[in-house]
Amino acid sequence: MTSVSSTIASATPEDRDQVRTARGPSLIQRSFGPAGHIWVHIVLCLYAVIALFPIALILINSVKSRQAIFDNPMALPTVDSFSLIGFHKVLSNTNFLLYFGNSLVVTIGSLVLIVLFGAMAGWALSEYKFRGNRLMTLFMAIGIMIPIRLGTVSILQLVVALDLINTRTALILVYTAQGLPLAVMILSEFIRQIPTELKDAARCDGVGEFKIFFQIILPLIRPAIATVAVFTMIPAWNDLWFPLILAPGDQTKTVTLGVQQFIGQYATDWNSVLAALSMAVIPILILYTLFSRQLIRGLTSGAVK
Amino acid sequence: MKTARPWHIVAFLAPAVIIYSMFSALPLLDTLRLGFYTSNDAGVHSFVGLDNYRTILFDSDWSTAFWNAMWNNVKFFCIHMLLQNPIGLLLATLFSLKGLRGARTYRTLIFLPTLLSVVIIGFIWQLIISPLWGVGEKLMTLVGLGDYFAPFLGQESTALFTLSLISVWQYIGIPMMLIYAALLAVPEEVLEAAHAEGAGAMRIFWQIKLPLIWPTLGLVTILTFVANFNAFDLIYSVKGALAGPNYSSDLLGTFFYRTFFGYQAQVGSPTMGAAVATLMFLVILAGVGTYFYLVQRKLTRYEL
Amino acid sequence: MANVSIKDLKKSYDGKQNVLAGLNLDIRDGEFCVLVGPSGCGKSTLLRMLCGLEDISGGELAIGGDVVNHLPPAKRGIAMVFQSYALYPHMNVYKNMAFGLKIAGSNKADIDERIRHAAGILKIDHLLDRLPRELSGGQRQRVAIGRAIVRKPRLFLFDEPLSNLDAALRVQTRLEIAKLHKQLAATIVYVTHDQVEAMTLGDKIVVMHDGHIQQAGTPLELYQHPQNLFVAGFIGSPKMNFLPGLVTAVAEDGLEVAVTGGRKVRVDVEPGNAKVGDKVTLGLRAEHIHENTGGSEQFSGQVNLVEHLGEANFIYVTLSGGQDIVVRGDGNRNVDIGEEIVLSANSNAFHVFDADGNALRRLKPGNLVSSRHH
Repeated sequence: MTSVSSTIASATPEDRDQVRTARGPSLIQRSFGPAGHIWVHIVLCLYAVIALFPIALILINSVKSRQAIFDNPMALPTVDSFSLIGFHKVLSNTNFLLYFGNSLVVTIGSLVLIVLFGAMAGWALSEYKFRGNRLMTLFMAIGIMIPIRLGTVSILQLVVALDLINTRTALILVYTAQGLPLAVMILSEFIRQIPTELKDAARCDGVGEFKIFFQIILPLIRPAIATVAVFTMIPAWNDLWFPLILAPGDQTKTVTLGVQQFIGQYATDWNSVLAALSMAVIPILILYTLFSRQLIRGLTSGAVK
Repeated sequence: MKTARPWHIVAFLAPAVIIYSMFSALPLLDTLRLGFYTSNDAGVHSFVGLDNYRTILFDSDWSTAFWNAMWNNVKFFCIHMLLQNPIGLLLATLFSLKGLRGARTYRTLIFLPTLLSVVIIGFIWQLIISPLWGVGEKLMTLVGLGDYFAPFLGQESTALFTLSLISVWQYIGIPMMLIYAALLAVPEEVLEAAHAEGAGAMRIFWQIKLPLIWPTLGLVTILTFVANFNAFDLIYSVKGALAGPNYSSDLLGTFFYRTFFGYQAQVGSPTMGAAVATLMFLVILAGVGTYFYLVQRKLTRYEL
Repeated sequence: MANVSIKDLKKSYDGKQNVLAGLNLDIRDGEFCVLVGPSGCGKSTLLRMLCGLEDISGGELAIGGDVVNHLPPAKRGIAMVFQSYALYPHMNVYKNMAFGLKIAGSNKADIDERIRHAAGILKIDHLLDRLPRELSGGQRQRVAIGRAIVRKPRLFLFDEPLSNLDAALRVQTRLEIAKLHKQLAATIVYVTHDQVEAMTLGDKIVVMHDGHIQQAGTPLELYQHPQNLFVAGFIGSPKMNFLPGLVTAVAEDGLEVAVTGGRKVRVDVEPGNAKVGDKVTLGLRAEHIHENTGGSEQFSGQVNLVEHLGEANFIYVTLSGGQDIVVRGDGNRNVDIGEEIVLSANSNAFHVFDADGNALRRLKPGNLVSSRHH
């Protein structure tokens, strides 16, 4: 089993890239010359600074006293200027940890549903011949391009009618609907590559379709889950629109909404504002440091579609 | 492929299709329908045909705001196209150079902003270029542009442009990665063959790499189009639902929000909101349709 | 066309030292030189160094008398045909072939003439408008060769060009490449892992292993006089039979070797430094063993397995001494599994390798009577 999944997962663009870099000096760089090589690094370093500087600035200043923030924005916090007052204010005035928990629940909840239902649908569409297969695939595919927000008027009416207003469930269902089209496409592509021998062998043994799916197929699509996760979790976590419209209550606020409202309210309190931003950023930074390789691999392998 | 008993197929498809239909497809269709109605104060809907659309498009109470938002959105999109694609292409090309030391580190670092919410990003930049703090001013002085510093977000003439730059700064990671993946897919041997025939780096880029990644550039364009004409979060968090100053940063997304939800003095109207949403849908559909037409006809994906 | 001179050529990577360790090789003008060896032996690396796609870490490489160590590929006067053909996917055949010429600055008329000439030789005239994805594997390969021909290089480089073709096409294309060589009077360096390709195509074959040249020579030289165990086992199919033994007697014109667990055999080799009691390995090709007593040295054994090819059999025998060998037998003769079989070979059919794996020089190796004529 493991060799099959590794064969399927192998030769992602990232892998190919690693093999290329291992093989010796760059032929392109040979035509650039040694000077060209330096310019490449200069440009990339410059852009890296542009990309990271704003975030770093916020983090540094979030632990400085108000005075130090204004006197010397770009200086690192010293023993004198160190202050966690912003963080105190945020934590005492808002339910920040609750918001964080809400974001987690909503994001992971929708991911689970997306992967499970998406795999099931992807399996059905790629494996079974039936009338309307093509139509159904097209139906699901349309959702990739057409933004779900356009139907918000009706979604809100539906959520109200189902008495799901201000619930995390509503958000989970909406994000699941949002992420399913792309997930179905990615997963059905992936499932198509699973060797037919595996499925045929199981059927020869008389294994039922559901068992085949849950015990054979599902474990094999693990590599594709990274791709699906990248494309569904990030938009769900960072979304402002649906939490604002469907679940703005304090119990169900997500981090993004919470930060937005907090900053709107405390706009002049720089310590708190900086602290709130930092608290929103730091968890992502931590997760990113841990999972960046898988994330980028998921992104690049899914992009080749 | 195999023909299984029908109820298997239904069971596998049902959960996804139900959720997708209930919360995405049908609401959209319902919104399209709702645009043809109006509701009075009691909440009773009555059919009014194309009245809503006539109002939005032509009645000056509404149409000024609508066309302003539409025009702003077009500008927003153009700025993205002009900045994001070339810069993303440049970065992706540099990443994909064989033998570049630290390529992975660069990629990881440069992709970071894209992971964060555009809400967070918006606030961060708002602080940086705020005249109160002065960091933005200091930086511009450093590169000799100190004279040009102004409260960019507060001025009608510069607000939209500034917000567009912030949005590009945040969003660029996606095109960058998609183009990077496409560049990786170009077979190494093809590049070596070109090098062996005497092609320099520039010629290889323009005559070999670029034509082969053209489909991806098309994809990036349409994704940006859809994202831009759907944009809301950034404007709302930095400028509020009124998208000031004086609606100069109003996009279709914020216009939709105000129409549907109401804001301050304006009362929300689901039916008018539905009409706005339908118009947005038509714009996006036009873009997506053009894309697929071009993809079918011209942008051939070469078998690599 | 030009000759190639490789002096003490070395190659090291960051991760690996001495991938190629001091190679020396001379290729004559117009020669078809095949680099052959198992995966990882360094043949492709050497080819890429000839091309200019890999840096040279040490030593000197000269093409046509010019030292080219630091020249980029386009300035060396070479043209390379890649294993995967590496055609530009978005250009039609004509443009694929014109690409390099345009870079070199040739004028339109010249380019057109060269392309049509090459297309004529390769019979791809009718494909000039097509894109690579519209071509079959064999057609793509011809375009790749055409792309090389139009450059009028002094040296052609081929990187395993037949490995992506199916078996029938491979044989046909092999013939065409051989014909092309004669037609163009070209100097060719050709890399393959298939020793049959090497033997049939090469004027000079260079067997490589672990970054070293094991032996360089004509096909017949490598077949009759392999210089070590590796070359002996690599050239010829099926693989040469190896029998361990001890020297029991030394004479001016031969040795007597006791095959472990078996009888003594006389072998016609120059004794050199061989002494009684030395451990040696005997080599004997399947096609030089007869199924009867016609040869001068005899063995007996039991048949394990028979593979039928039609005009011949491959008979797998376990000798009385315990060694397993394979014998090429007459296809008409019926051999049963388990049958006791008597085999013989001529004393001049043997190869002898000393304890280090090096060959002792064979005397009278030519005109061997092979088993098939019995």
